[in-house]
Amino acid sequence: MALTKSLTYALRRLSQAVPTVLVIIALNFLLLQLAPGDAADVLAGEAGSATPEFMAQLRSTFGLDQPIALQLLLYMKQIVTFDLGYSFRHGMPVADLIVARLWPTLLLMITVLALSVGMGVLLGSFAARKLNRWQDNLISMLTVLAYATPVFWAGLMLIVLFSIKLGWFPTSGMQQVAAFHEGAAKVRDIAHHLVLPAVTLTMFYLALYTRLMRASVLEQFSMDYVVTARDLPLGEPLGARRHVLRNAVLPVLTMAGVQVGALLGGSVVVETVFAWPGLGLLAYESLFARDLNLLLGIFFVSTCLVIVVNLLVDVGYSLLDPRIDLR
Amino acid sequence: MTALHCLPRSLMILAGALWLTTAQPALAQDQPQKGGTLVIAVQPEPPTLAAYQSTAGPVGQVSTKVYEGLLEYDFQLKPRPSLAQSWTVSPDGMTVTFKLEPNVKFHDGKPFTSADVQFSVMDVLKKVHPRGGNTFRAVTAVETPDPLTAVFRLSEPAPYMMMAMSSYESPMIPKHIFGIGDIARHPNANLPVGTGPFKFVEWQKGQYMRFDRNPDYRKKGLPHLDRLVARFIADAGTRSAAMETQEIHMGGFSAIPPVDVKRLQAMPHIEVTAKGYEMQAPIVQLDFNTTKPPFDDVKVRQAVAYAIDRKFVIDNVWFGFGRPATGPMNSNFKANGLYTAEVKNYNVPDGVERANKLLDEAGKRRGPDGVRFEIIHDMTPYGEEWRRFGEYVQQQLGKIGIKVTLRYEDVPSWLRRVYTNYDFQLTSNWIQTLADPSIGVHRLYHSNTIKPGTVFVNSSRWSTKETDDLMDKANVEIDPKKRAALYHELQKQVVEASPLVFVHELDFVTVYNKKVRNFPLSPLGLYSSLDQLWLAK
Repeated sequence: MALTKSLTYALRRLSQAVPTVLVIIALNFLLLQLAPGDAADVLAGEAGSATPEFMAQLRSTFGLDQPIALQLLLYMKQIVTFDLGYSFRHGMPVADLIVARLWPTLLLMITVLALSVGMGVLLGSFAARKLNRWQDNLISMLTVLAYATPVFWAGLMLIVLFSIKLGWFPTSGMQQVAAFHEGAAKVRDIAHHLVLPAVTLTMFYLALYTRLMRASVLEQFSMDYVVTARDLPLGEPLGARRHVLRNAVLPVLTMAGVQVGALLGGSVVVETVFAWPGLGLLAYESLFARDLNLLLGIFFVSTCLVIVVNLLVDVGYSLLDPRIDLR
Repeated sequence: MTALHCLPRSLMILAGALWLTTAQPALAQDQPQKGGTLVIAVQPEPPTLAAYQSTAGPVGQVSTKVYEGLLEYDFQLKPRPSLAQSWTVSPDGMTVTFKLEPNVKFHDGKPFTSADVQFSVMDVLKKVHPRGGNTFRAVTAVETPDPLTAVFRLSEPAPYMMMAMSSYESPMIPKHIFGIGDIARHPNANLPVGTGPFKFVEWQKGQYMRFDRNPDYRKKGLPHLDRLVARFIADAGTRSAAMETQEIHMGGFSAIPPVDVKRLQAMPHIEVTAKGYEMQAPIVQLDFNTTKPPFDDVKVRQAVAYAIDRKFVIDNVWFGFGRPATGPMNSNFKANGLYTAEVKNYNVPDGVERANKLLDEAGKRRGPDGVRFEIIHDMTPYGEEWRRFGEYVQQQLGKIGIKVTLRYEDVPSWLRRVYTNYDFQLTSNWIQTLADPSIGVHRLYHSNTIKPGTVFVNSSRWSTKETDDLMDKANVEIDPKKRAALYHELQKQVVEASPLVFVHELDFVTVYNKKVRNFPLSPLGLYSSLDQLWLAK
């Protein structure tokens, strides 16, 4: 019963998302036209020199000699059949490029989300229970300090400390390229490479969840049900903690859903510093290369990802708090 | 993953460092050792591996390990055999015959023959290569009397063509693969099959490219390396850090920024060289828009040329990596006699006074606030150095009464502004004068290269009948002495008219680990096959 209900709910939400996605695509397309210069300029620029015939040939291959309205129409036609087009710059279909870069992004994103939400919830509720004592102040100070540190600087400092000085972790990349490990060794190798970028990003997001959780727990403490529970013989430790946590974690979950989008974009810096082969870096490079097909494809995938994650968050609400009805 | 897990590795690095410092002079250092994996940082990541379609710098650093050209070059810029074991140019310069190396096989086992040469030149390079249409413009046909002979028929002598036969400039690609299907979007573009010392294995976008030793390479016993990996690290600071921790062995062009080169140079395990860029020969310059006031006046242009202190720029902006430029041709061309320093000299100690005098003469009087006129200076968007350089130009031109506003855009915007819309007054720029002036230099001064929408050509839009004639003659002159004389005259006239300010000859540097031996062995440096490079254990 509950399952079919969530399922129909999910399907309805997804169908509502279709027009949203289409509008976003059209807007993205038009906004990108505002940037001066095109992919042919960039390709020829990188070549160092080019003949006029070569450049004209590039533009006609890319379809850049067509009117904008027609280009948009053609693109929309493509996208409704889930064809993301071809990146002439990379000489590959856009879908292949994105899929290859999606999983490093997801790996980093899920690790960071799990770490920052998990630790944020723990630290936040701990700080709330030690309100205004030294533990609370220490947690607040450290997390805000981490939040205020520029991500690229924090990343470089971690490299200096843990890669150059101590030699514990590699500076960059996702695998040790001289070795080309296979099987379990490969998994270990990737995890080893994941540590520094994940820690850098987690440091940044941790503060947010810690503060939010702390405030949320404090709010719950003042609720009638907690005050009543404290007077019951069960006492605070057992009963209240379970109920408080469940209620307090809802706003954190909302925030995490919203943050997925930011995390997709915000990891550009970390991907750059640690040469992590994710989507953010690909988007960044394709913007400067005016590889619009690829950029639009990445935007499309990110849009879908954000919609799906928010849907999951909504379903998560009802699991955590059965009073919230999926309608 | 833990400190423990990594302990052996850090110990090994430590041991390696000790070995380097203590044991270096011992043993037979010049005896090449087999094996090992060379890791190069290539920046930025190449967009494609289709070297027949893109001459972008990073593409050349990887494609030249797989594809070969008909010729190689030595440090005197003289052709050397590669896929062609010998060649003859007919006395009238209208026929060039290449005798090919026998028993050369592509990586898929098929033989390399003159049909591949014909296909590469006539069907690919002439048609889809950014510069090929220019390099091979005189070639009317490539004849293949037998599988090991390729005869180039020319419509006029083309001495410059012989300088453009390297693997970087004109790669030879297999007809049996690329002859099938659309060459502009060929499925093998990123799965190259060549004759070179390394075979392409895989390309993990955003991470690395892997090349393994070609056991059937035409040169017996080469390459020394087992494997070559190109890594892509977007952040300059991280690249330098990876150089320090020995995760990468070398990085060239601008992979390691000048500011870090100085720091890394001081480390015991790192070596730095400016050799291996002789066929790029870039010049840092300031381009004027000579069609509009104030820079339509030659005196105003000369004044700006006098005002720039080249030595200051080299020492303070580029950390000493470079030499003052004298004119449109890089002094590397001294090697084949084309270069001359006997031109008008703007690099004088009293430059600022001379500049002020010239501006007075041009009628650009100072206003009550000391300003003669205002301009916008565009900075070429290729990194931090150019911003510093822009700030210097602003300051220096201020001294001669020109008020400068700076503008910095991204690469496509800047290219569009300078080469399509001509919507600029003064922009910094750097142009590679390449292997021959006919390919690298003419494009900036000839009237037929004023082509809106085509990048890195004549953007100052200055030209004269005399200089056009000199270049047209030099194109077809096969007597090296006479050709040199034409170029000497061209340099005099261009420098006098100063359509651009020639600031300095930019030195790229390659930073490499001292374990890397036999580098560079060619003026093409990282654009060569690296078949003789070896790694000390």
